[in-house]
Amino acid sequence: ITVILFFCNPYPNYTKMPHQRFPKIQILSLASHEIKFVLSDTDTSMANTLRRIMIGEVPTLAIDLVEIHENSTVLNDEYIAHRLGLIPIRYQAPDSLRGGDVHGAFLSHRECVCYERCPRCSVEFELEVDYDTVNPARQAQDGAGGEDDEEDHEVMAPLTITSKDLKSNNEYVTPAHFLHQDEQDESQDDGIALVKIGPGQRLKLKAIARMGISKEHAKWCPVAVATYRFWPIITINDDACSTLTAEQKQELVDVCPDRILEYDEQVSGNITVAEDAWDTATYTEDLRVTQNMMKKRPEDEDFLSVEPSTDKFIFNVETTGAMDAEEILMASLRVLKDKLNYMAQEVEKVRDMNM
Amino acid sequence: AIRVDDNDDSNKNSNKMNAPERAASFLLDEDSGEVKITYATDTKVSNAGTFTLNKEDHTMGNLLRMQLLRDPSVRFAGYYHPHPLVHYLDLKIQTTTSNVSPAEVLSSAIEDLSNEADHLITQVSDSIDQWRKENENQF
Repeated sequence: ITVILFFCNPYPNYTKMPHQRFPKIQILSLASHEIKFVLSDTDTSMANTLRRIMIGEVPTLAIDLVEIHENSTVLNDEYIAHRLGLIPIRYQAPDSLRGGDVHGAFLSHRECVCYERCPRCSVEFELEVDYDTVNPARQAQDGAGGEDDEEDHEVMAPLTITSKDLKSNNEYVTPAHFLHQDEQDESQDDGIALVKIGPGQRLKLKAIARMGISKEHAKWCPVAVATYRFWPIITINDDACSTLTAEQKQELVDVCPDRILEYDEQVSGNITVAEDAWDTATYTEDLRVTQNMMKKRPEDEDFLSVEPSTDKFIFNVETTGAMDAEEILMASLRVLKDKLNYMAQEVEKVRDMNM
Repeated sequence: AIRVDDNDDSNKNSNKMNAPERAASFLLDEDSGEVKITYATDTKVSNAGTFTLNKEDHTMGNLLRMQLLRDPSVRFAGYYHPHPLVHYLDLKIQTTTSNVSPAEVLSSAIEDLSNEADHLITQVSDSIDQWRKENENQF
């Protein structure tokens, strides 16, 4: 009988829309390096999947191969190569709105048809710094030394090789030296410090950056922080609270270290929820313990309760500078869609085989 | 010139002999015949089957499982990731009637999730545009 059913209607689509969720997003704050938003009307599984994709599966560029031509610095070759790999690399096409998203601009080096590497799948950086070439110019600036030039114990200040010294062969790709202007103002260097050199030391290398995801190596991770917390649902039982004295109400309000409640005897005489309680609540035990002490019998109703919501989440995403925060969110949704489409195709294949 | 490879595949296996390739956690090894999804009907339980999803982890597993649980024609849905070092999931689905196969239910769940992701994408762009408009005066 089952066979006949399938013959008449190969894929009976009995459930089309009813089980779909319609999530909502509300942006709390948006800067190029950070985004805070509230995701609601969806399940923890979707929130967690988005978080995992943001951390692990959004493709970015990072230095993957390093050819060292000369290294007389105090750090050994692989140390410097490791540091180069961790530098966040930003792709910014001037006429596009996409802040750093490499999707479509580069191919994965495994899929590229070139022999070893080409501009389509990789970007080359060159770095060449020689202390003695740079130094004559710096000595002229140290006019404050004065007569010290003749003294033997004059200490030549070390020169810091930074990410600014990396010269790219693709004009749209540069290392992300700083997250924002404040960080640049506070920094003593021009970029991310790589190694400090002294007189007679040189560093000459060629670095190749490729596209990858964080699951392969953490250097490709576009975010520094991607977390979510649950929206607190604070319910106050006014009837039960009215049996409390003013001192008891004040005690309840004061015992919570997050200050999520307010009580003003003159204004309302009731305990109310503080305005920024959603931001500061951390679900501590203090309120519950104090309430149990105040109850006349243990099985009485609670005066108030703080519960984490099961369908509303407060996200906080901070980038490393390789991509803009909103781009990471859009890219992670795109990656999720691609994964789901791929799954759907493969499931169709399995259904066809089992028919 | 000395060549130092930061993360190149060719050197890795000689340096760390036992470590598997990092990319093996998400890249399908088609050369050795790995397929993304295989299906095995359950012999002891009616209307049930197990999907083996290769190169997936909790990112997809939990998402699919929770969506399957919302479907009233699903009696049982569960997944497990047997060990962090092996990269596949087992997803067990049992449906309530024999008219509906586990593959159909999974297909429908993926479609619902796909629509939800589309909905989210439009929501995010609208939300960002709205925030930009509201905060234009600060720029």
